[in-house]
Amino acid sequence: MNLTRLATDFAGIRMATPVMGASGTFGFGVEYSDFLDLDQVGAIISKGLTPLPRAGNEGVRIAETPSGMLNCIGLENPGIDVFLRDILPKVRKEAPNTAFIANFSGSSVEDYGIMAEKLDVDGVDGIEVNISCPNVKEGGIVFGTDPKAAAAVTKEVKAHTTKPVIVKLSPNVTDITVMARAVEKAGADALALINTLTGMVIDINTWKPLLGNVTGGLSGPAVKPIAVRMVYQVAQAVNIPIMGLGGIATAEDAIEFLLAGASTVAVGAENFVHPDAVVRVAEGIDAYLEKHNLSHVSELVGKVKIG
Amino acid sequence: MNETKKLVEIGNIVSNWELSADVNALVLECPDIVSVAKPGQFVMIKNEMGSTYLRRPFGVADVDKEQGLLLLIYRKAGKGTQELAQLDDGAPISVEGPLGNGFSFKNEGRTLLIGGGVGIAPIIYTARHLSKELDGPKPVILLGVRNHKELFWSDFVENFAEKLVYTTDDGSYGRKGFAIDAIPDILKEYPDIKHIKVCGSTVMMKGIAELAIKQGIECEVSLEKRMACGFGVCLGCTFEGKSGKRWKVCGDGPVFDAEEVFG
Ligand SMILES: Cc1cc2nc3c(=O)[nH]c(=O)nc-3n(C[C@H](O)[C@H](O)[C@H](O)COP(=O)(O)OP(=O)(O)OC[C@H]3O[C@@H](n4cnc5c(N)ncnc54)[C@H](O)[C@@H]3O)c2cc1C
Ligand SMILES: Cc1cc2nc3c(=O)[nH]c(=O)nc-3n(C[C@H](O)[C@H](O)[C@H](O)COP(=O)(O)O)c2cc1C
Ligand code: FES
Repeated sequence: MNLTRLATDFAGIRMATPVMGASGTFGFGVEYSDFLDLDQVGAIISKGLTPLPRAGNEGVRIAETPSGMLNCIGLENPGIDVFLRDILPKVRKEAPNTAFIANFSGSSVEDYGIMAEKLDVDGVDGIEVNISCPNVKEGGIVFGTDPKAAAAVTKEVKAHTTKPVIVKLSPNVTDITVMARAVEKAGADALALINTLTGMVIDINTWKPLLGNVTGGLSGPAVKPIAVRMVYQVAQAVNIPIMGLGGIATAEDAIEFLLAGASTVAVGAENFVHPDAVVRVAEGIDAYLEKHNLSHVSELVGKVKIG
Repeated sequence: MNETKKLVEIGNIVSNWELSADVNALVLECPDIVSVAKPGQFVMIKNEMGSTYLRRPFGVADVDKEQGLLLLIYRKAGKGTQELAQLDDGAPISVEGPLGNGFSFKNEGRTLLIGGGVGIAPIIYTARHLSKELDGPKPVILLGVRNHKELFWSDFVENFAEKLVYTTDDGSYGRKGFAIDAIPDILKEYPDIKHIKVCGSTVMMKGIAELAIKQGIECEVSLEKRMACGFGVCLGCTFEGKSGKRWKVCGDGPVFDAEEVFG
């Protein structure tokens, strides 16, 4: 893999490749060390952190669906303080060269500011503001579906951090460009889209929902065309860089996102199925650049030909 | 903790045959995983040609380290396993493992191994390990099955058992009733039993765990939860133990001390 072709600066976060491990699917990164070389991971994006530890939702949390899966984990995580005390030092020791982005959410605008300030430490290269978890009240979805609230959260976070701020958008809205513009105006340095789409599965033997939380978030290949469309629309609407995700399994999938206007991508559920996916996708992008005589991945960004 | 490196290996199907109307056996050639797999661990497999998305978890039923062969025994439960049952010899399967921590083994006393339904699968390797690899007293094996059509398990465990006891739901073979009903007699006959290891339904394991705890016998249970990843990153499989600690069935288990789960 030719890392000079792939090295990317994403809103000030320096990454070896433009391919990251998506929040909630990549642990804290080090869990993947048996399967891939962490130095070749663009960035590790942490599981969603919250102000206090969370046990997550009761009952079944995972359901397979056609070409994808639903989850209703409910933001199980050890809480930000344990993360900072126990987990971050371990990650920095085991993956010293990989960019690390902390994903987090809260239940009030103030929560977001407090969390941003706590995360403003060495070893964290950027922060990803989750206003789009569909599975819990505290997952920020109330902020992710209302442009005013989304802007308020973004402003609050920006006021409490020196790190690049990525705001992660929900696809569960009528017009995602309205949300994108609102958080750009509020000072976001970059956008990530999409989070999961709300879905539901019913067990026809029991007549009950399969998931403990009744509904869950859909991800995997099934959502990819929706995500590509949203990245394309948002890229037309804003001037800040975009991390595209949703259903990426291969380099070809990732390249679609780049052409649509994302300057980086993240791999989510595919990591569960093929735990070397993040590196395999980067290698495939590199091979594509080689084949098309391109000298840097940025030459693909937004190059979709319309009309 | 599982200190061995987790691997993904393409294992060709060596054989895939029917044991009963709804249970199949599958032998895969995956020498690297087999060389480090321990009793009670599991693998996540994917038929890359199939229509399902996530990997599927299966307990390591047995291994042949010399030939690099892995035995899985699976119930044709849904789409993934039904597609698996259609595959011919030579078909490639992606195998990820070994995952989780297996059973623990101590150098004293006899072990009672109990399996219910396809939960019997990991009992096979565990029995081989106890009787052949550790060379200790052979385990007593108690199997709970539905009826006399499910006695195929004998072929897999007979040689490793001091005594093999069946219970059937309908009384068509062995003792009628649940596995737990047979335990008092077994303990009377084998007072040297110091450990119980169970893999089966939650109801079965709960009952047996409570009995073991009451009698002061060390008991380990092997849990089952829906898993997306199998190695600790999706958090689909977590639960809160009696100590208040949160565990991942995939990474911290699937084998747990019965007290922590049912105590
Ligand atoms: C650690 C572990 C070890 C296991 N070992 C064995 C074994 O040795 N032999 C065996 O026959 N079965 C075993 N199972 C259960 C086996 O994983 C499921 O029966 C299988 O995944 C069903 O797949 P399917 O596509 O046929 O069913 P579907 O119902 O179509 O599967 C849909 C989804 O639900 C999940 N799922 C369905 N049933 C179960 C279940 N009972 N437990 C966990 N996930 C489930 C599947 O993995 C998949 O993600 C084990 C489960 C776990 C967690
Ligand atoms: C099991 C699971 C847990 C997730 N947890 C989080 C989370 O904590 N925070 C977050 O912002 N997104 C979370 N996501 C969303 C993913 O980061 C990603 O946006 C989404 O799954 C779409 O990408 P994919 O189709 O590649 O999985 C989670 C997704 C899954 C499947
Ligand atoms: S199955 Fe993913 S954490 Fe256990």
